[in-house]
Amino acid sequence: MASHFVTSADIPANGERLQNATVSKVKMIAGGLCAILSVVSLFLLFGPNEGWAATYAYSWLFALFFFFTLAVGGCFWTLLHNVSNSGWGTSVRRIMENLGSVYPWMFLFAIPLLCPAVQQYLYEWMTIHREGLSQDNVGLFDGFMAGFYGSDSLQGWLNDNHHALLANKLWYMNLFAWYTRFIFYFVGLTLVIRGLRKLSVEQDSDPNPGTVRLFKARFHSTYTLIIFAITITFAAFDWLMGLDYKWFSTMWGVYIFAGTALNSMAVIIITATLLQSAGYMKKVLTPEHFHIKGKLLLAFTIFWAYVTFSQFFLIWYANITEETSYFLIRNTGGWNTGMIFLVFGHFVVPFVILLQAWLKKNPKLLSLVAVYTLVMHVVDHYLISIPERSISLMNILPDKFGHVTTAVPGAFWGDVLAFVTVGAGFVFFYLRALGANNLYPNRDPRLLESANVSN
Amino acid sequence: MSTTRKRVYGYLAEFKSASALYKAAEKVRDAGFRKWDCHSPYPIHGLDGAMGLKRSILPFFVFFGGCTGLATGFFLAYITQVRIYPTVVQAKPANIFTVPAFFPPMFELTILFSGFTVLFGLLALMKLPRLNHPLFASRQFHRTTDDAFFIAIEARDPKFSPDGTRSLLEEIGGSNIELIEEED
Repeated sequence: MASHFVTSADIPANGERLQNATVSKVKMIAGGLCAILSVVSLFLLFGPNEGWAATYAYSWLFALFFFFTLAVGGCFWTLLHNVSNSGWGTSVRRIMENLGSVYPWMFLFAIPLLCPAVQQYLYEWMTIHREGLSQDNVGLFDGFMAGFYGSDSLQGWLNDNHHALLANKLWYMNLFAWYTRFIFYFVGLTLVIRGLRKLSVEQDSDPNPGTVRLFKARFHSTYTLIIFAITITFAAFDWLMGLDYKWFSTMWGVYIFAGTALNSMAVIIITATLLQSAGYMKKVLTPEHFHIKGKLLLAFTIFWAYVTFSQFFLIWYANITEETSYFLIRNTGGWNTGMIFLVFGHFVVPFVILLQAWLKKNPKLLSLVAVYTLVMHVVDHYLISIPERSISLMNILPDKFGHVTTAVPGAFWGDVLAFVTVGAGFVFFYLRALGANNLYPNRDPRLLESANVSN
Repeated sequence: MSTTRKRVYGYLAEFKSASALYKAAEKVRDAGFRKWDCHSPYPIHGLDGAMGLKRSILPFFVFFGGCTGLATGFFLAYITQVRIYPTVVQAKPANIFTVPAFFPPMFELTILFSGFTVLFGLLALMKLPRLNHPLFASRQFHRTTDDAFFIAIEARDPKFSPDGTRSLLEEIGGSNIELIEEED
């Protein structure tokens, strides 16, 4: 691909901005759709119909966490790009930053998880804790570190009422610590991604751009990578693993991270392709960039399969009751078909397709694979969140859901609705971020290195 | 006077820098030469494109090497653990549904066979090992591991001509042009 060497004369001094009627139209539609459907969702979640509220709580969690992973992945790629001192990706770095900058807005969609009205259907342990806390002489704060590691009186109450497992897990699973972590997830990574994006954007208009901001971003990406790791791991623990408080898996954080990194890269690939086909970034994005991104897609497809299998393998071999419950639910009935489909659909097929080098250099074909990967990510997260629904609701509301088997009839449409609601919001905030600044860091000293990358 | 017969191997020309070598390689490529090579102390990005080299067929071999390893791993585990001597571990059945237990050896053998295919395929494609190379007869060629950039055009190339090739190398900026001979 050495046909043309890009020089600074080829790159517009003031960069390129997204100015497209179609984009603003899509943004308006997505924003409007999100606003309307959010009202519907609020009605379903907090409205008078208990059955809808119970099933829709799971739909919401599924949709929220799917788009949460994509936004967190944007933060991850920004951090990794800075900390690894990469030159190749300078021209796509702004796309990563923009994807990451959707993250703060995910808080809006996560608010329902803070409400006890929603929590009572999702997290059984919270209901038990609240029952204990409503008793006399049981307090939230009378423990080590003001109750962060669980209060002594609650521990006593749990032991007295035969919740030995919850009493054992109290040091991690208690309301005060859960809410604290929840706030930490959003405050921490929001500060990180906003800071990094600010550093990058400021350079676009600096008449004397230098390497100062690059070094600064690199330094601040080192320790904040830990904040990212904590966020994705423990958010996965708190929001997904907590659906069944008896169940645990030590691979869980890595498993969720693998899907996160893979599918946010898929979003970055699709965005880059769409931008280029709309006439932007013609000089700075080459087939070499798509080749590298395709390689990362392949790498994380393999990583996802490796981690997912490891988790299954450990649980299958050890045969511990508290662990196998996850796969028992998901290997029953139609869910089993889904899980086996995931093995081939999420690993074997994309693996063989992505081995081809020529395909990775073709943006259109690579985008098709990226879209396919995203669809598989939806299936993956559907199978993570939803099979728990019928099992839990049978216990929580036996009058309404006692007759339900593996799935709640009709609840699928709620899943679609929640997915469209959060998805529309995601698209709106993503397009808003893309249009706000230049599409690539046009005064970054490493931009020419990136534009002429060869691998 | 020596009585050994000599055969012309080709021309060796030195270039000043990596970018000079790169540009010269593009011109040699466009002149239609096939049997020639560039020599540099370090890898130059994009040089294979400038030389007009086709993509290696090695990955193709490696894919099938890996598939062979995968199948070997599966059958090795399946035949021993299920067919010949069924082993019941932790009340797990010994049948095709025990396949998760076979995944680790399948994975490892895929890697091993791919690795072997890379190593031996590479050696075969590069026709290695060999004891000597005619270019080692040149004194200046030793600098290719240090600070010099060379292009060597072989005499067995159909486009090769004693005068034409020499003038081409001069034209594209080559210096210290040397005719390399090998003993027959």
